[in-house]
Amino acid sequence: MENTVIKAENVSKKYCRSLKHVMLYGVHDIARNTLGLSSQSERLRDGEFWAVDDVSFEVKRGETLGIIGPNGSGKSTMLKLINGIFMPDKGRIEIKGRVGALIEVGAGFHPMLNGRENIYVNGAILGMSKKEIDKKFDEIVDFADIGEFIDAPVKHYSSGMVVRLGFAIAVHCEPDILLVDEVLAVGDVGFQNKCFNKVGELRKKGVTTILVSHNMHIISAFTINALVLNNSRATYFDSVVDAIKEYTNIFIDKQDSDIEKVCNGTDGIKFFDVAIDRRIFKPGESFVFSAKYEASVDYSDTEIDVGIYCGGDSSLYFQANNKAYNQRIDIKKGIHSLKITIKDIRINNAVAKIGIAIWAKDRTNLLFWWRIPVEFKGVDHSTGRNFLNLLYEIGD
Amino acid sequence: MKTENVTVYSPDRILKIGLVAVWKELFLSLLKSRELIWRLFLRDFSAKYRQSLLGVLWAVLNPLITVGIFVFLNKSGVFNIGSIDVPYPAFALVGLTVWALFATGLTVSSNSIVAAGAMVTKINFPKSSLVIASMGQAVVEFMVRLCLTIIVFVIYGIVPAWTAVLLPLAAIPVFLLTLGMGFFLALLTGIFRDTVHVVVLFTTFLLFLVPVLYPIPDSGLFAAVNAFNPLSHLIVGFRDLVFLGKLSSPAGYFGSCLFSLVVFLFFWRFFQIVEPKIAERV
Repeated sequence: MENTVIKAENVSKKYCRSLKHVMLYGVHDIARNTLGLSSQSERLRDGEFWAVDDVSFEVKRGETLGIIGPNGSGKSTMLKLINGIFMPDKGRIEIKGRVGALIEVGAGFHPMLNGRENIYVNGAILGMSKKEIDKKFDEIVDFADIGEFIDAPVKHYSSGMVVRLGFAIAVHCEPDILLVDEVLAVGDVGFQNKCFNKVGELRKKGVTTILVSHNMHIISAFTINALVLNNSRATYFDSVVDAIKEYTNIFIDKQDSDIEKVCNGTDGIKFFDVAIDRRIFKPGESFVFSAKYEASVDYSDTEIDVGIYCGGDSSLYFQANNKAYNQRIDIKKGIHSLKITIKDIRINNAVAKIGIAIWAKDRTNLLFWWRIPVEFKGVDHSTGRNFLNLLYEIGD
Repeated sequence: MKTENVTVYSPDRILKIGLVAVWKELFLSLLKSRELIWRLFLRDFSAKYRQSLLGVLWAVLNPLITVGIFVFLNKSGVFNIGSIDVPYPAFALVGLTVWALFATGLTVSSNSIVAAGAMVTKINFPKSSLVIASMGQAVVEFMVRLCLTIIVFVIYGIVPAWTAVLLPLAAIPVFLLTLGMGFFLALLTGIFRDTVHVVVLFTTFLLFLVPVLYPIPDSGLFAAVNAFNPLSHLIVGFRDLVFLGKLSSPAGYFGSCLFSLVVFLFFWRFFQIVEPKIAERV
């Protein structure tokens, strides 16, 4: 208990679908509260529904908790509840220390003021005193790294710059608890790395972190335990691997177990005798795809994409392409066969799709595209995390 | 290890903590957010006149033009205010000075939460700071007009009564009344956007109903209506301190001061009750 920093007990939050009801219920609740009566928030009224339903969990000092779930499952609402922007309608949340939120960084910026002025305003909104901001000012400017734009009005910033400055202020307010929503996905690769390093640095200092993301790679790499939200309800997992398994399971029902034959050839080429050697994998196993084709013309220098997709929105997880390996593939006129092998896939417990696409030169024409539902079973205990296997040798 | 504040979020928490704790929390949070209020005020002030040619000059031009119009109307006989002992521009400016505190204050404060936009729904901070900080604009306008008034007094060679030094004090009840109403209207605007239009109508109408630009007639319906209007008492009292050297209706004036204080305290507390619901209702 001593070390528990965030404690949520049976937390529920309701939303209302129609704007008319929002106004009506708003006035009703306020009137009741003014008379000292409870708003009876535990009851659902016409048009209301639970956006977060009976969620309980604890996070200890220095831990990182991942929150994953499909779109609309209540992740952002949960973050807003922890941040205190929304009050729970049932249950209670106990928070120890200052909360820093990387939810919508830069929300408090005034477009007419320049970067410097906005650092002071936004810092004050996030609860920093002028002395604190003075002390951190150079660090913030350094971190944001937006050059001379620091003296330009924020309305002239690119969206990336707004995020950089907003993020820089938010991470420098010395939070005890850091809430990270998908923001890290914004900004270029250089800045993303900087952000991850900074978040890592804060975690080392004992900052408790909650990470919300659709990117299972990020979740798997950064968190140890995770909360899976689905239809407003939550399940807590001690192991992020199990959580990701649960998350991908959510999509099993929605996922068509049939192969999606998006494209099976064109006028110039037809594919037949397509075969896949397996649909269920253990970590380290390989995937072999074989097919025959009959081409009436030559397709020189084709491109073949192999992707692994996870989650309901089938967001890309890993992708490989022959061009990246400087492999030239020419398709010759006549009947030939084709075999593609992906070796040593190490993805822990997940439901996914393997996509194979064949393009004519310079991607001018799609010749073939199948998406094949597969399942990864078991855990690679050497890492406990998800990785594509990197084969390399180091010589003397 | 540093001591950490424990924050608890639960439904209707603010209704359950008891009367003493409620007011303690109100004052503590005001104390804690004074820096934020100052920053927000500076932000509004410096952003207001950016990208304009005349800049801060507008703060002076606005009241000058308003008074100019009424002086013109008075001189041309369209607007007859009856007899007063002092030059009309001086008389009108004193009224318009204290009026600015109320009218500008009411307009900006009722708009303050909606105008803050995404900030309200995305960041957790004391929202009352937005309303209080917006009142800063009204205070600035009040002070600019006060300086103008002094200049006009010098030009006309009018010597005000010694009680004029009490003017800053007399501004306080007007400020509290406006802020109190502002707390309420800011929330109302959050739920019903119509409020903004109503406030504009209301203040325009009130400018003529309240004796800002003319003295209260001694008798008649108008005198009776004003006798029960706290704002009238506060404005007349303000002007009495300049021209009369004493309050013409002390009972009415102090009663109105008390009324202002009650309005402020009530709606301050009201705001605290509603504050947790703002983010989801705006």
